[in-house]
Amino acid sequence: MENLNQEIEKKEKELRKIRLAFLNILEDTQDAKDWAVEEKNKTMAVINNFTDGLLVIDHENKIELVSPTIEKLFKEKKENILGKSIFKINLKKIKLKPLVEILKKKKEVYRKEIELGEGILLEMTTAYFDFGKKKGILVVLHDVSKDKIIERMKTEFVSIAAHQLRTPLSAIKWSLRMILDGDVGSINEDQKDLLEKTYTSNERMIGLINDLLNVTRIEEGKFLYKPEKMQMEGIVVNVIQDNEDVIKMKNIGVKFEKSKKLLPPVVIDEEKMSLAIHNLLDNALKYTPEKGKIVISLEEKDNEIIFKIKDTGVGIPEDQKERIFTKFFRGSNVIKMETEGSGLGLYTTKNIIDSHKGKIWFESEENKGTTFYFSIPV
Amino acid sequence: MSKKVLIIEDDKFLRDLLGKKLSSLGFDTVLAVDGEEGLEKIKTEKPDIVLLDLILPGINGFEVLEQAKKDPSVNEIPIIILSNLGQSEDIEKGLGLGAKDFLVKAHFTPQEIVKKLQVFLS
Repeated sequence: MENLNQEIEKKEKELRKIRLAFLNILEDTQDAKDWAVEEKNKTMAVINNFTDGLLVIDHENKIELVSPTIEKLFKEKKENILGKSIFKINLKKIKLKPLVEILKKKKEVYRKEIELGEGILLEMTTAYFDFGKKKGILVVLHDVSKDKIIERMKTEFVSIAAHQLRTPLSAIKWSLRMILDGDVGSINEDQKDLLEKTYTSNERMIGLINDLLNVTRIEEGKFLYKPEKMQMEGIVVNVIQDNEDVIKMKNIGVKFEKSKKLLPPVVIDEEKMSLAIHNLLDNALKYTPEKGKIVISLEEKDNEIIFKIKDTGVGIPEDQKERIFTKFFRGSNVIKMETEGSGLGLYTTKNIIDSHKGKIWFESEENKGTTFYFSIPV
Repeated sequence: MSKKVLIIEDDKFLRDLLGKKLSSLGFDTVLAVDGEEGLEKIKTEKPDIVLLDLILPGINGFEVLEQAKKDPSVNEIPIIILSNLGQSEDIEKGLGLGAKDFLVKAHFTPQEIVKKLQVFLS
């Protein structure tokens, strides 16, 4: 009897322990469940409030999740899309074809531009991920329709501004030139001197507007307008010819060392490449004292065309070399020289070389000279 | 016989300056202040060459160019765009519509414009 009682007590103790353990497990499970619910709520809050549209598609191409932004973009209620195959649904107001075409290729895309009907421009990003045991696709749609409208307005504005600013400057240029050329009677030397200076100032203003226009276009990202396969040599020759007046005026020896063999053509935008080379030559001419030397060369090396322009100019101060390609930068030594310049030339040039997938670099020593290089892949 | 140049330009000052320069060099100059008048004068005056601005009141320079090129009685007359637009899109559009050249006003002096004219007149 005594033994039995002891045995029961022992069992009871064990049972209590087990009960406690179970309660603990239950509590843990409740915690885990609460945590899961909380996580789900968080995820849903993110999805529901995400400004981009989110779409999850399972391995059978069925739409598993539709965020509120998608409802707006697709102009369709969630209930009419969920659970259906993305390849089969037909939307009343939206063409899904461009989106479906991308999914069919089964490759991840990043911010790929697609147009789902009149004026609806989206950037599509996809990510493939494990969806339980199967694969799923997350589609992110970013609405850029408004950005495009603004971009177009900006382009129009730039174009109109250019026109409005250039027209009075043209009038000043033309009349000064005609007076200077004696078309409306003779003027004395003092008058001529003064008007020449006015003419130069006006030319500076015209140049500045061109620089500003170019910068605006770089920032619009549409700077490479017309890439074509061509030889670099002809462009260099033309740029040198365009600068002949300044070269003569400053009595600077400009030498173009052509490559001995024929260089392979490169894919470039002629207008922009001319501008890049012009800016480099313009700087060399501006910052090289009279009777100085400038040597330009082109060569092919490791599947790249390397352009080099070496001058005997004032050089770039050591402590400013890092900032040379930033917008509006001008060297402290050249500001003192009272040379004109907007600080946009090298910024523009670097952008042009970058957009050609090239590299630009330089070597410079103050009061000795500067050499700029850039390379363009063949 | 002196060559006849039609200048289609809405800015009076620019139009007069260029007209004066051309007349002094012995050209016969005809002036038009907007697109409609320009197109009309291309047809009635049959100039040897046309200098055409793009931003014009009424029909713009592109339309003048397009319509002139469609008219078989005048489509052989060379037209040079002389405008202060000058973005690649504008240049491409102008040349695509049949303009012989595209000159940005602010980048050329009257003398240089005359030089360009002479190239197309010879």
